[in-house]
Amino acid sequence: MTRDPTAVTRVLFEDFAPAAIAVFYVIAFAAVTVFCFGVYVEVRKYRRGSAADVDGRLLARLQAMIGTVLSHRTIAHRDRAAGAAHRLIFYGFVLLFLGTATITLDYDILGPLFGVHFWQGAFYLWFSLVLDVAGVLLTGGLLYMMYRRGWLKPPKLDYARPDRQPGDPDYDRSGYRREDWAFLWTLLLIVATGYLLEAARLVWLEATPEVSAYRWWSPAGAALAAGLRAAGMSAASGAALRTGLWWFHGLLALLFIAVTPFTKVKHILTAAGSLMLRDPLAAQRLPRVPEQQQRAGAQYITDFSWKQLLSLDACTKCGRCHEVCPARAVGAPLSPRDVILSLREFANRTLESATLPAQAELDVHGKGPGQVAMETLWSCRTCMACVEVCPVAIEHVPVIVQMRRQLVEAGQMDPQLKKTLQTIHKTGNSFGEGRRKRATWTKALPFAVKDARKDPVDVLWFVGDYASFDPRNQRVTQGLAWLLQEAGVDFGILYEGESNAGNDVRRVGEEGLYEVLATSNIESLSAASFKTIVTTDPHSYNTIRNEYPDFGGRYEIEHYTTLLLRLLQEGRLRIAHPLGLRVTFHDPCHLGRFNKGYDAPREILRLLGCELIEMGRCRANSFCCGAGGGRIWMPDPVGLDRPAHNRMREAAAIPGLQVYVVSCPKDLTMFEDALKATGNEGRFVVRELIELVREARGQQQAEGAAGVAA
Amino acid sequence: MKLLVAVKQVAVLDEDFEIRADGRDVHADFLLRDLNEWDDYSLEEAMKIKEAGAAPVEVVVVCVGAAEADESLRKCLAKGADRAIRVWDEAIEGSDSIAVARLLAAVARREKPDMLFAGVQSSDHAFASTGIATAAFLDWPHAAVLTHLAYTAGGKSAVFRRELEGGELHEMQIECPAVLTIQLGINTPRYASLRSIKQAAAKPIEVLSLEDLNVAPGDVGERGSLSRVRRMYVPDKGRAEMIEGSVEEQAARLAQIIKELAGSAS
Repeated sequence: MTRDPTAVTRVLFEDFAPAAIAVFYVIAFAAVTVFCFGVYVEVRKYRRGSAADVDGRLLARLQAMIGTVLSHRTIAHRDRAAGAAHRLIFYGFVLLFLGTATITLDYDILGPLFGVHFWQGAFYLWFSLVLDVAGVLLTGGLLYMMYRRGWLKPPKLDYARPDRQPGDPDYDRSGYRREDWAFLWTLLLIVATGYLLEAARLVWLEATPEVSAYRWWSPAGAALAAGLRAAGMSAASGAALRTGLWWFHGLLALLFIAVTPFTKVKHILTAAGSLMLRDPLAAQRLPRVPEQQQRAGAQYITDFSWKQLLSLDACTKCGRCHEVCPARAVGAPLSPRDVILSLREFANRTLESATLPAQAELDVHGKGPGQVAMETLWSCRTCMACVEVCPVAIEHVPVIVQMRRQLVEAGQMDPQLKKTLQTIHKTGNSFGEGRRKRATWTKALPFAVKDARKDPVDVLWFVGDYASFDPRNQRVTQGLAWLLQEAGVDFGILYEGESNAGNDVRRVGEEGLYEVLATSNIESLSAASFKTIVTTDPHSYNTIRNEYPDFGGRYEIEHYTTLLLRLLQEGRLRIAHPLGLRVTFHDPCHLGRFNKGYDAPREILRLLGCELIEMGRCRANSFCCGAGGGRIWMPDPVGLDRPAHNRMREAAAIPGLQVYVVSCPKDLTMFEDALKATGNEGRFVVRELIELVREARGQQQAEGAAGVAA
Repeated sequence: MKLLVAVKQVAVLDEDFEIRADGRDVHADFLLRDLNEWDDYSLEEAMKIKEAGAAPVEVVVVCVGAAEADESLRKCLAKGADRAIRVWDEAIEGSDSIAVARLLAAVARREKPDMLFAGVQSSDHAFASTGIATAAFLDWPHAAVLTHLAYTAGGKSAVFRRELEGGELHEMQIECPAVLTIQLGINTPRYASLRSIKQAAAKPIEVLSLEDLNVAPGDVGERGSLSRVRRMYVPDKGRAEMIEGSVEEQAARLAQIIKELAGSAS
């Protein structure tokens, strides 16, 4: 028997008094009004920020954001379980939301306006099936998240703050914990009551053939209904239960909509916005200070751009930045998560009111609630681990550096750092050596290194401070000069025309000095004739590659690792003795995470005949040596662990490790110290990749660094 | 009220250097220039009094020097000094600390400050006399090598401490106007960011000539000085040796030297 397909649908307000329906619509409109008001307040808050430097390729940005959201690429990144669970919640929620929207479209818009109804027949049946499955997905995801929070308790979800002491008015984060649970329970209750409501309806309308014949298109509801029947529920009590649950379910869902802009729920919108506004070079290329800008950096909450204020709201406290932060790992008073949350709370407190408070109340520096202490800001290594891991594209590094710029302006910094900045200003290098001494290392070579300012060269070698002045690194630098010479590379250096590249000066927040250094180097570079630049130092590599273009310096540039690899592959450098060493490789932040130079050093190690054992934290997840962001110029606090020590212990756990390979001058200094400090001296050695290449060619360095293969 | 801070742009030796042809100074090509370290502290002391806000204070820095000294003055302006004065004339070249003090005293008469601060000494010539000689020209009370100063803007007198030999402290009181020379470590000088230095470029530096100060050319330069440099030279190397190498090598070399010396003494 064929039934009227228009009768195959779901009852909505069946048996409701007109007054009850009116009440429902009033509440629904109120919920939407509250939602809209909340969105207005939030948008007003963002608009109180300063201008943002966001390019207008909105369509491309939208596409990229949708791709990221649909694939859950960033959420599943290094936490597959959370990614899978969130995917279930996301798809379940989206389908159910679209489902509800579909009913509204049919019942409240197309029906009343045009008399068109499509939510019936075959469409309705598929709709029921899809939504029933969506509910199962959502429930599964929610239950896993509850299990995770309640039983697994990963340390990253612990909201204890490393930058505040218990008892500090700003220490307690239990409100967040309650909100997390309320969020999960609300969603779970909405789904659970949805199913129960469906089951009650099926029991109630059991006698209606259009309902009962198709009930298995709602498998979960039908199964539940069968259970209720078996437990003895009558059609009448089904109807009563349906009415009660209908209101409960509906009001809860409306409540959820109403509170969206005011609670964690808003990440649905803000995370999407933050992802859409993502700057792929956020940490690699710091923002310039516009000429007309009044302050050097961020002093008041309104000094942050509207984009930054929006991204503060995107944080879901997933704790990934907290987990990967090298400062946090050694007990320094910094958690990127807490910086973001503090600023968010500060913004909410000051920028959500109808009128803007007095400027004094907008100061984000200090130890008060929501403020960020200078000790916190100075703990950052700008290693970019937080930015890389953030699933919602929060860009912590520029936020921290912009705040540091203000500290530099006020002179609130470590005395040693202050001294180093003055030294760099005076001499152009952080060692306080005379400019003429920059190329002293070349004197130990039997061949002359060309002066690129006088003779045209193919490759301009930007040596960098550590490789030029540090005695241990000078031997490595000489080694690279030998390799380039032997491979027949036409190269030269800038001699005293080279200054500190400024990467770390900029990350300290001394933007004025950075401009001086960058401009001076660009001037020297433009006076030289060369085809490409190669650097020893990944820090110099980063700033010349990513930041000098903003100052008019556009060059073809590579790190020495890619150049050496090419020379080896082209046979211009030959390996005489494969080393057969068991090694591990430390990715320098500025080569790896910053510029994705993961493969060249590994390929070189393979060509050298080394057995590479990766550390747990490698490639994009490499662990900073602790020297970045100018920290190399600041003493580490006594009594605290150090990132380099933490890293050494990780390497020491590799059985039979012989060499800890680095490809950054600062790493060599940091890790040779750490090797001794952690008592691993004699167990394995720290070597620059250049040294291993030399050794594999049978050219051990004459003094000091004795070969490791012997 | 007004505080006058006398500063100097000192010469800092580069790694390798050459003596000038006349043998009386280092060739200018081998000198780096910087603000005298002591003057960082005296300026900071003035800024502290200004910022304490007891009364409006104008901090004026003054320097005797050629145009290149503007760089150091800008640094002072960047740190918050209200005005900068530079005194220069060709005739000033070759002045000793007494002749410079004569010029500073002339500036003080013109500016009429409540207090004049100077560094204890300059790091290049280290005469430690400019400040005190200025007080003598002005016939003002003076005190040298202050390690602590308590002065409230607008006050008629100041209380200060000086460190004496053996760690003893001298607490004294002085009537204004006075000349005080400031010792290192009395405070923590602030950082002048490059941005603030750049912004200070907009503040004018007043350049005064001998005429402006009513000082005769004969009262400055070598003619107006009580002393002159005869020659500057690097002494022959003494018996000092830097021992390098591993701990064992260093110890062995040290033992060898001791044996040699012991041998030569016997």
